[in-house]
Amino acid sequence: MNPSVITDNLIYFLVGPWPQGPLGGAALTVILTVLSAALSGVLGLVFGVLLSVLRGPWLAVLRLGLGLFRAIPVLMLIFWIYFLAPIAFGLDVPGVGSVVAALSLIGGAYLAHTVHAGIEALPRGQWAAASALGLSRRQTLWLVVAPQVLPRMAPSVVNQWIALTKDTSLAYVIGVAELSFVATQVSNRVMVYPAEIYLFVAVLYFILCAGFELAAGRLARRYRSLPA
Amino acid sequence: MRLALTAITLMMTLAVAACGRNDAPQDRLAAIRQAGVLRVATFDSNPPFGSVNPTTRKIEGLDVDYAQALADKLGVKLEITPTNPANRIPLLASGKVDLVLANFTITEERAKQVDFSIPYFASGQQFIAKTGTLTSPDQLNGLRIGVDKGTVNEINLREKYPQAVLVAYDDTPFAFTALRNGNVQAISQDGPKLIGVLANAPDASGYEIPAFSISQDLIGVGIPKGQAALKTFVDTTLVELEASGQAQRIYDRWFGPDTRTPLARSYRIGESAAVAAH
Repeated sequence: MNPSVITDNLIYFLVGPWPQGPLGGAALTVILTVLSAALSGVLGLVFGVLLSVLRGPWLAVLRLGLGLFRAIPVLMLIFWIYFLAPIAFGLDVPGVGSVVAALSLIGGAYLAHTVHAGIEALPRGQWAAASALGLSRRQTLWLVVAPQVLPRMAPSVVNQWIALTKDTSLAYVIGVAELSFVATQVSNRVMVYPAEIYLFVAVLYFILCAGFELAAGRLARRYRSLPA
Repeated sequence: MRLALTAITLMMTLAVAACGRNDAPQDRLAAIRQAGVLRVATFDSNPPFGSVNPTTRKIEGLDVDYAQALADKLGVKLEITPTNPANRIPLLASGKVDLVLANFTITEERAKQVDFSIPYFASGQQFIAKTGTLTSPDQLNGLRIGVDKGTVNEINLREKYPQAVLVAYDDTPFAFTALRNGNVQAISQDGPKLIGVLANAPDASGYEIPAFSISQDLIGVGIPKGQAALKTFVDTTLVELEASGQAQRIYDRWFGPDTRTPLARSYRIGESAAVAAH
């Protein structure tokens, strides 16, 4: 074991070439995760609600679209957005944007089904009861259904976000300098210390994921303790 | 619901904003001058061509120096994008970078998808193996050989030594790790790149570069297809760099006698330009 390979390159692991160059390393991994988690959450919520309220051909179209994103490997989608979007649509998406878009779309498709399942789990009688009280469908959704359903979905959503944290490492395919990419650069330079470097990287990912889980768990508990 | 709609609107705005770059003129050289930035893809893990300096945390190397010289000539800022062998053509084809300077061997096959400048470097395909295990090319057909995905070296070996078992890796350091772990019995790359690998390996003593090469390759700057003005600029600048002695200074900085990878300079810019023409 040679700990100096970690200490010598610690700043590079944490922030990449920043501040002289663009931000990279663990800091970029956190940014990619937070952006993708937020966007996938929004998409999941919107599409999950739509899955519950749409009927007929629109529902079929939505199911097909979500099915497509659930079926594509993240790596492929990142590659397509980054390299094919400029050629096919003249749309130049930067590296970080490609990764966030791919992770949000695929994460959103997964979360849509979580949200949909949560809504379906409520007894249908509650919709009827709300309707009898004179609430519109939209009011029922936000005032009756959402407060009961959202906290219960939290563990499943956090699961998805943690999987997403680890998926940010796939950004390497288009040269986005997140944590695993800069670790590979250092490993390739010093050559004989892959065990030290990748163990350290594993610890960093563990800290990131554990921190994320703690924060999300705390948030979910706070909302669960509110009267529904 | 309103929040969700705002978010979607925001995303669409961002997507449209991202399109903006496409309004740049079709002439890439003019676009570079207008933007004030030359975007170049170089290797990030292949000393002495391109690797991250541990102190400055920036990518540096022979290819970076040439890229800097081109940017200086234009009077624009240089922006480096890290690449690996397999990403070089996609980066050019999708317009993500203006030039590729990443030990890019000029071949007819590649010239169908990208244009090349005149050569600025030459090397031969060589091997690294455990000391004493590989002495002649005749042995290659019976070996497991590690190569870099998407390189000329891989294609060369498949054509000339069809019985050799090839294992393709993302990059040369990965292939060398595979050699060290015994997954393959030799790895193949351009000689100067292999010298760089061995020079940086703390356990280099157990390995050697056998004194034969199976091809001679010319290295050029990758240029997007059909950008005549940009190609002319790169070609004339390369010739000027040789005439002014700067090409020699760049070479000496990375391969000179005082470096970790001393190597006599076998090729000067402008030699056998006929090879580059086809």
